Amino acid sequence: MPIEGRSLGQIAWRRLRKDRVAMAGGVIIILLILVALVGPHLVQNPNAYNSNLINPTFSRPYGPWGGISLAHPLGVEPVTGRDMLARVVVGAQYSLLIGFLATVLAVVIGVFFGIIAGYFGGWIDALIARAMDVFLAFPLLVFAIALIGVIPNSAWGLSGNTLRVSLLVFVIGFFAWPYMGRIVRGQVLSLREREFVDAARSIGARGPYILFRELLPNLVAPILVYSTLLIPTNILFEAALDYLGVGLIPPTPSWGQMLSNAVSNGFYYIDPMYMIIPGLAIFITVMAFNLFGDGLRDALDPRGR
Amino acid sequence: MKRRSRFAFAACAIAGALTLAACSSGGGTSSSGGSSGGSSASSSNAAFNAGVTKVVNPSTKKGGTLTFALSSTPDSFDPGNTYYAWTFDMTRLWATPLVTYKSCPGACGNTLVPGIATSLGQVSDNGLVWTYHLKSGLKFEDGTPVTSADVKYAVERTYDRSVLANGPTYFPVLLADPKYPGPYKDKTGNLTSITTPDATTIQFHLQSPFPDFNYVASLPQTAPVPQAKDTGSNYQLHPLSTGPYMFQSYQVNKQATLVPNPNWTPNEDPQVSQLASKVVIDLNVNAADLDNRLLAGDVDIDAQGIGVQAATRAKILSNPNLEKDADASPGNREWFTYINTKVAPLNNVSCRQAVEYAANKTDLQTAWGGPYAGGQIATTLLLPGMGGYSSFDLYNAKSDPTGDLTAAKAALAKCGHPTGFTVGASYRSDRPAETAAIQALQASLARVGIQLQLHGYPSGSYYTDFAGAPNYVHQHNLGILMGGWSPDWPDGYGMMDELINGNTIAPSGNTNIGELNDPAINNMFTQAANPSLSETQRNALYGEIDKAAMAQAVILPNVYATNLLYRNPAVTNVYTMTPFGMYNYGVMGVSS
Repeated sequence: MPIEGRSLGQIAWRRLRKDRVAMAGGVIIILLILVALVGPHLVQNPNAYNSNLINPTFSRPYGPWGGISLAHPLGVEPVTGRDMLARVVVGAQYSLLIGFLATVLAVVIGVFFGIIAGYFGGWIDALIARAMDVFLAFPLLVFAIALIGVIPNSAWGLSGNTLRVSLLVFVIGFFAWPYMGRIVRGQVLSLREREFVDAARSIGARGPYILFRELLPNLVAPILVYSTLLIPTNILFEAALDYLGVGLIPPTPSWGQMLSNAVSNGFYYIDPMYMIIPGLAIFITVMAFNLFGDGLRDALDPRGR
Repeated sequence: MKRRSRFAFAACAIAGALTLAACSSGGGTSSSGGSSGGSSASSSNAAFNAGVTKVVNPSTKKGGTLTFALSSTPDSFDPGNTYYAWTFDMTRLWATPLVTYKSCPGACGNTLVPGIATSLGQVSDNGLVWTYHLKSGLKFEDGTPVTSADVKYAVERTYDRSVLANGPTYFPVLLADPKYPGPYKDKTGNLTSITTPDATTIQFHLQSPFPDFNYVASLPQTAPVPQAKDTGSNYQLHPLSTGPYMFQSYQVNKQATLVPNPNWTPNEDPQVSQLASKVVIDLNVNAADLDNRLLAGDVDIDAQGIGVQAATRAKILSNPNLEKDADASPGNREWFTYINTKVAPLNNVSCRQAVEYAANKTDLQTAWGGPYAGGQIATTLLLPGMGGYSSFDLYNAKSDPTGDLTAAKAALAKCGHPTGFTVGASYRSDRPAETAAIQALQASLARVGIQLQLHGYPSGSYYTDFAGAPNYVHQHNLGILMGGWSPDWPDGYGMMDELINGNTIAPSGNTNIGELNDPAINNMFTQAANPSLSETQRNALYGEIDKAAMAQAVILPNVYATNLLYRNPAVTNVYTMTPFGMYNYGVMGVSS
């Protein structure tokens, strides 16, 4: 019987399938996406107040565990009495979307400039490296405050939260790309001296071919790892912009906004569940991406078994 | 990482997280976490609410550093360019006005007494000329003598709103030539309605009689400013002191440090003291962090004076050791929502009344902190206890505190929007209670189809650039704007004039944010200024103005504020000063 040769993709997939932990991470990611897509239609209104469930003297939910009950399986929010399960599920949409898209933007820009800077060196490298320094040193808060005064209700055909999400993805991604850029640039600087690059050149390969067909596959590992680290950072970044009034428009829930509200307004003290629940959500998301990313890297590693 | 160990790591991490969740209980108030609020060895009369009626920890001891902290930044430290109760309180440390309030707890604090003037103003028979005489031997921090020209200049410079945009607008309204453009533009002539017959006499010439003029003279705008040293909008970086303290350094947005002014004597203003050897004001301190440092004793007083955050409130109210160092102080303030009369469809009074009916007053009260630390549900502009106050309730807040939706829908039908409408709403995003309140309002109005699109702004520039700039408000369709008011002085004029008198609408730093310009109401204000009226007659007029303005629905009152304030037991001479609704910052010292 002839033995069929396997492609790189098939080999990687087989390796990945055997990695239980990575698959678990992948399953959680798929579940999260499902929750974000379908969940909002299944839960109650995340913005409906339930003032009768709140003790007005302390602004805290009646009952332990943040007011958990059959009607509110994850309890209610302090001050407002809004259902936590609904807010977490609807928040998943926004947090995941912004975290993911901003990371994609940062990775695309960062990888592109990082590779070019690392490979070509010289004045191109100097220019891009300085640009990265500028972005890293940029007073982001000042920029965000300046944005407040000029954001219109609608622009470029978008309005309301759609506009806000786009702006947030742009701002966060645009300021996060140097982190990826620096790493990629460093990797490329070491890789370009390797023999396989010389070999490719010797058979007549030009710059773009070497960049994107030879170097890029070897960069997948660090890119994946840092991407999975960047996602939660960007989720929390959105919460910080929220506090300045540039984030999602209240009463839109997001995990970062709930966490930030719980921590910086001290609700963690009177109702710890208000911090723990969104915190757990972010934690699970990070873990899932991390484990899956780890497994993916192992599976794609050309030197792996 | 090897596969097996990675699996174990993942399992441990998840187990750890679940254990953490299981350990948390819903309350969290049983253990107070070690903060006992400092030793109470020296403060023998500290008790809950003691500061509302008497002086807590009285002492004449000098020395030490008094530390204030603020969760944002001041609109300005320039006494001629600020308009917050806490800065009116704080600027008395470096700027003494003509007259000032008596430093004593309770209603006693509403009494006016001389500042740099020898006595309260003497008014001419026709009520149009007010004369003040300055004390002798007054000096600025650099030793230059203070003359009446400096007081005149201090008032003149406030006329140019393009340079000094904050601050009250009483002088241009009351004095005889309101069109004066200010000394930065008009270098030749000067304000002819203030005359200085000699170096220690100053006379104000009014357009029409104004019996409350002494209150106007108590504003920090009358604290002397030397023309030679005035740097316009930069003067806030180092205002020349006529008070017990002067600026040693001021890093904008970070910290100001004040040291005793050697050229000040208690005779200049006996209502303030020079006890601490250094006063530090930390700016932009995160609100929750500020509270923690307050309880730990790192910060002595929260300068903003509008009360502690929710977590701290829970800590304080459930721990007697902390409670004794707290006061539920009447805040001399009302929190409310402006309803703008120029942004459609709120230009129709019935649409505005729909907002008044539909708002859930209980939810608003909870958002502000509940009945205890937020305040009582408000239905009027005048505060309880003010002359002319009566507890009328036009929009059924008492009978239907969650909102009268039937009446709201009827009002909506009357203004031609039976299914509701959409409008912009502004609030200060760095104020957690205000953020919670605007969301509560948004949720309650949504019940009748009124959709609010929220816009958050920083409080430092809220009145100068956003809510207080009518052009910005119109361009961005902001019909609902959160705000609050602490009366400039404790009577009907001080509470309502800047809010609803059509004459006070300004292009920046506007406080008549509803842009109400009702001739009947403007007229009643003019009538109330008649010097031949008795106190009772004047108060009756103020009561009428209150009812008329509420009928126009330009303001939706939220609560009559009480503030839960905390005092570091090490601070001496602590009590709430009624005209400011917060602690008296002018008399404090530090023990230990």
